[in-house]
Amino acid sequence: MELAVFYAFAALTLGSALLVVSLKNTARALFLFFVVLFGMAGLFIFALADFVAITQIMVYVGGVLILMIFAFMLSNKELLADLQNTSSKFLSLPNWQSLLLCIGFLSVMTYGIIEWQENTPKWITENIRHENILKSSDNNINQLGIKFMTQYLLPFEVISIFLLAALIGAAHLSRKEDPN
Amino acid sequence: MITLTHFLLVSTCLFCIGLYAIIAKRNAIMILVGIEFIINASILNLVAFSRYDKVNYGGQVFALFAIVLAAAAVAVGLAIILNVYRKYKTINPDNITDLRD
Amino acid sequence: MGDLLNISPILASMLVVLLPFLAFLAQAILGKRGKSGNISLVAIILSTLLSLIFVFAEVWKNIPISVDYHWFTIGTHTFTIGILLNNLTALMQLIVCIIALPVHIYSRSYMKGDAGIHRYWMYLSLFCFAMLGLTISNNLLMMYIFWELVGFASYLLIGFWFTKESAVQANKKAFIINRIGDLGFLLGIASVYSIYGSLNLVELFGKDGLFYSLPQASDGWMTFTGICFFIGAMAKSAQFPLHVWLPDAMEGPTAVSSLIHAATMVAAGVFLLSSVFPLFNETVLLFIAIIGCITAFISAYFALGQRDIKRILAFSTISQLGFMVVAIGVGAWDAAMFHLATHAFFKCLLFLSAGAVIHEMAHFKEKNNLDIDPQDINNMGGLRKWMPKTFILMSIASLALAGFPLTSGFLSKDAILISAFEWAIHHGKAYLLIPITLTIVSILTAFYIGRLIFKVFFGEFRVQAEKLNFHEANFNMIGPMIFLAICSLFFIFSWNPLAYHHSFILGGFEIKYPFAEIHSLHIVLPIILTLGSAVSWALGWNWYVKNKYPLKSNNQWIELSLNQGYLNEIYEKLFVKSTLSLSNSLYWFDKNIVDGFVNFMASIVRRIAQLSSWIDKYLVDGLVNTIAGTTYYVGHLLRWVQNGRLQNYLGFAFTVLLIGIIYLILR
Repeated sequence: MELAVFYAFAALTLGSALLVVSLKNTARALFLFFVVLFGMAGLFIFALADFVAITQIMVYVGGVLILMIFAFMLSNKELLADLQNTSSKFLSLPNWQSLLLCIGFLSVMTYGIIEWQENTPKWITENIRHENILKSSDNNINQLGIKFMTQYLLPFEVISIFLLAALIGAAHLSRKEDPN
Repeated sequence: MITLTHFLLVSTCLFCIGLYAIIAKRNAIMILVGIEFIINASILNLVAFSRYDKVNYGGQVFALFAIVLAAAAVAVGLAIILNVYRKYKTINPDNITDLRD
Repeated sequence: MGDLLNISPILASMLVVLLPFLAFLAQAILGKRGKSGNISLVAIILSTLLSLIFVFAEVWKNIPISVDYHWFTIGTHTFTIGILLNNLTALMQLIVCIIALPVHIYSRSYMKGDAGIHRYWMYLSLFCFAMLGLTISNNLLMMYIFWELVGFASYLLIGFWFTKESAVQANKKAFIINRIGDLGFLLGIASVYSIYGSLNLVELFGKDGLFYSLPQASDGWMTFTGICFFIGAMAKSAQFPLHVWLPDAMEGPTAVSSLIHAATMVAAGVFLLSSVFPLFNETVLLFIAIIGCITAFISAYFALGQRDIKRILAFSTISQLGFMVVAIGVGAWDAAMFHLATHAFFKCLLFLSAGAVIHEMAHFKEKNNLDIDPQDINNMGGLRKWMPKTFILMSIASLALAGFPLTSGFLSKDAILISAFEWAIHHGKAYLLIPITLTIVSILTAFYIGRLIFKVFFGEFRVQAEKLNFHEANFNMIGPMIFLAICSLFFIFSWNPLAYHHSFILGGFEIKYPFAEIHSLHIVLPIILTLGSAVSWALGWNWYVKNKYPLKSNNQWIELSLNQGYLNEIYEKLFVKSTLSLSNSLYWFDKNIVDGFVNFMASIVRRIAQLSSWIDKYLVDGLVNTIAGTTYYVGHLLRWVQNGRLQNYLGFAFTVLLIGIIYLILR
């Protein structure tokens, strides 16, 4: 049962992703990105990372994606006109070299995964033996909060500053120039 | 049972789709979308492994950081795209080929 | 003074030769200033005195003297120059000097006023030097050198008036024909050297000479050698068929003709034959006699019809040379030398007298502005009135030529004829043809010289003109002629006017004839000859003085004689035209075939060059251009790698990465 739902989410995610890269209409593609992100959140839940899933929805969907859509929608007409293809086709033809490349990567990585199946790293097997794995009944948020404030304090602070810097930078970069 | 392998496979597929989007799309914003896919794939990977790491919760923490990074990347990227558009009047990366004079 | 008078014969003979050479050099240096010719005259006087006193008197009938000096060596062969003084050479040298002296004196007035007189003295001295050197040569090589020099001097003197076309042709002809003779002489020298290994006359023919001590070479070889020497003599002494140059040589001044072409140079051939006489075997001697006989007869026939006074005398010279050559052929070379000596005097006198007559005729022509040939005897006549001395002197010479008793010519001609008869009788009946022909020739000689005298000095002057004032020649010309006339009489050569055996020259040589003496001939033959001469003169008087000429003047025999038997035309057709046509054909060959071949080769090279240039332009350049083009094209293709497109860069990077991973997996 779990497996079927998992497959459904996976299919949703991947299908939407495929559609995102295939659609000619960029606006529609961006909206399908939504679906992808939601699907990803669902997958996170399956991995027993509930906090990450919620954060994904809040930050990614509510922040990043909205930013992209705003940027896209509030752009000039020329930008929009340029982006919108006048082709009548719904899907665009894939670029064959890139397709080949990606299929190559896919096959390589799949092979790697299958290979890896036999050579599971020791720490995973140890943890499985010692029952040191996450269970669904664990309180992730509690543990994550403690971890953020103790073990991962420095990276936490750094990344907040970093985010601030990045946003200030982005705001500065995209300021409006004076006409003279 | 949802093994590690399933997650890894999904993340792999998503990664490849993202790669395709970066390489093949004629739109700078779609390239950003591709980058997002890749980052998402990596986050999924991280999260998948974090299941076996009760001690450090390393995977989930890092996944959160990655989300933040993705946001920053998108913000800055969009600002750059805006500037590029102002100069080149197009965002087709095939036409943005000149180095700075 | 005593020392001065004690000059050795060798030194004296060297001086005799060198004095004219010094005169030649002095004249050459003086150039146009040497007009008087005194230097040459002084030189020849000194030479004559030296030759007479210190050479002839010492050497005649004494032991021969000979010296030589080493000249050059080729490998193991040594060649020398040297002087040989024996009876023959001393006599010859004296004859040359004594004849040259009067000619020099005569020339002073004969050639006066001529524009090139400085050259004349130069050439005359050169000739004297060469001839004197020839006479005392010790070996055949030296003799050959002087032989050639004499021929060259003759060439210069025949063509003295080189602006006249006929003179130029004549000297060319003389030189070419003499060249043929020189070739024979050279072959003879080579043959002698190859058989005996020496060219020295003393070594060869002396008392125990190589000729006698070495084994005889084969008969054919000796015949060949003898004939070669005789060919040399044939050209120089104008024997048939190489006589054709002598009549044409009369283009030179008359004084030159008298010295060179009467007395001395043409006698050089006879001198050569006498020098190498032991070399000739029976066959060669017979050949010599036959040729001499033919020459004597033919030239006497040609002399009959000639009109030019000098031509008559030229043919007479050829005829007398024929006599000398026959004398050598029968073995009586002393008789030949005797006749050479006497002939030199009276022939020289004849020429000088003819010169005097021509001189006066030329003056006459100028004064009256006539267009006549001053040398044609048909334009003369009755000159006896105005030039009596010339007439007497010329008559004495003519009598000597005809062999009239009491002259020197009688003695020498008798010597030859009687020896010829004795020889013929000794050998057989068929041989009698030669002496009989010679007798007929003697009678013809008398006839033609009589014709000359009668036509020139008797009768009436044949040209109509106003100013007929001929006068006698001046003393410069008459004096030498008187001297020569005296020497044409018998007492110079022998006390006995009728018997030749007691003559000085024959007594000097003292050779023994291989045939027996026939005394009856000594009486019969002179009577026959004298009677024959008298008859011919009577006939001539009738025809030419009384003008009772029986034959028509354009009789074909006379025409044949006048045109010298058309020999010149035959030679022209045979040799001259064929040489010219050969030369033309060779020129054609050279121009068309050789040049054509060369041009063909050149055109081939040009074609190859064109082909090579085409290859270079299209193939080589094309190859280079193709490579360059390919490089450009590849570069053009590869340029798109760096196209500035970000996605392309990424694509490449990921592709390489993928390939790397696949490789790592597969390894």
